[in-house]
Amino acid sequence: MKADFRQMNHHARLRVSAMIALVLLSSSALFAADNSPQVTLDASKTSPRSVEGLTQRAIVRDYKFAWANLDVAMESNSAGPLNGLFAGSANDWLRETVSSQQRSGITSRYSNQRHKLEAVFYAPVGDVIELHDTAEYDFEINDGGKTIHNEHAIVHYVVLMTPGADRWVIRQLQAVPQF
Amino acid sequence: MHGALVAGVFICLAMVAAGQEASLPVPSNAVAGQAASIATTGNGSATFYLRGPSISFKRDVVLGQNIDLSAKELQSAGDYVAVLCTGTCSSARFFVAPGKPAVLTFLVHPSRAPVGVNDVISGVALPFDQFHNLILTPSAIQFQLTAKGSAPSSRNAQTHDGVAWFRTSSGRSAGALQISASLSDLIARRVVQQVASDPCNLRIKGQQTAKGILVETEPVRDCSGNPVPDGTIVTFTAKDGHEVSFVDAPVKQDIARATLVAKGPVVVSAASGVATGNELRLGNKE
Repeated sequence: MKADFRQMNHHARLRVSAMIALVLLSSSALFAADNSPQVTLDASKTSPRSVEGLTQRAIVRDYKFAWANLDVAMESNSAGPLNGLFAGSANDWLRETVSSQQRSGITSRYSNQRHKLEAVFYAPVGDVIELHDTAEYDFEINDGGKTIHNEHAIVHYVVLMTPGADRWVIRQLQAVPQF
Repeated sequence: MHGALVAGVFICLAMVAAGQEASLPVPSNAVAGQAASIATTGNGSATFYLRGPSISFKRDVVLGQNIDLSAKELQSAGDYVAVLCTGTCSSARFFVAPGKPAVLTFLVHPSRAPVGVNDVISGVALPFDQFHNLILTPSAIQFQLTAKGSAPSSRNAQTHDGVAWFRTSSGRSAGALQISASLSDLIARRVVQQVASDPCNLRIKGQQTAKGILVETEPVRDCSGNPVPDGTIVTFTAKDGHEVSFVDAPVKQDIARATLVAKGPVVVSAASGVATGNELRLGNKE
């Protein structure tokens, strides 16, 4: 009788653990789905060089990671997350934004990001690629915990990326009214 | 309690939304590095925020007076969000366009190119303004290629999406190829070193010495007559009956040399890359 109770109790505990694990997994999956930028790349019209499949995957991976970290940097007012993902003027500009946000006590957020990339130029030797990004996100500016601006923005970016030692880095991230 | 919280959140959201409906008269044709201003109406004080590609600040302003944005605050091209808060906030988005071309970034590859190869040299030019904003309006770039002993050639290309490029074949003679890209009075220069291509038509000669057979090539040149670089490897092969031996020798001052150890009659040949040389019979009366 006591052994049966223990076994039943053990089964119940297993079920509860499984349910908790399921809830945690699904919530973390939802969390990831909400916060991870969605990036697609169309490289069908690229010239003068076509973009190889592996390169396309690397660009999508690195662009997505860069934007996820850009959001973290702007929300936390820390330039650390930008390390190694941006170079040149894109790096300088974003770092300047972070430090000026720090000075004025402002933070900003880019949530629910969706980026539709189109590769428009890929250099003959593959040392630079130009992308057009139609980005969609919820952009929020906060001052001391108070939201002063919140909009669902659609922004067009002209992007220059160059290959680094182990990843593609963003060198230019310049918004334009239209392509 | 819960109802009050929901109502509070709703009111806050409504206030932000209502505030954003009223638009600010933001600059419509702002240019990077040029001052601009935003007119305000009413009276009293307010807080103004500006968030741009490389800037984020807040400033106390007096309503009814213009909000001046300095040239330094508008250096980066891109989108800016201006927010004006009194009790509620109103905001507007505006764009800053790049200024005049000031820098021409010019990428040329490779730094060394073998002569006589099709489409081996390429260049990409990107014009930027003085604040390193990419200039996206079409600009005419002139590429000029000058090699010693030949007439300069030039080609014009219009930038498309901020990029102009060219691709060309290497020349027939080894030496420096000067390449320039120019846009109005801006000019960027690069040099591609054209080097000899693979060896062509190897010729060897040899003689019996006390130590063995000394073989050497005649000056090794590519098919255009350019001497190949020092260090180019020539492989000498000696066939002594059924035995075959190899010696690799680097070209030094146009010639590769090796000493082969052989006792009887031997047939010596040489190869470098895809080029093979004549056969030489040594060690007998021939």
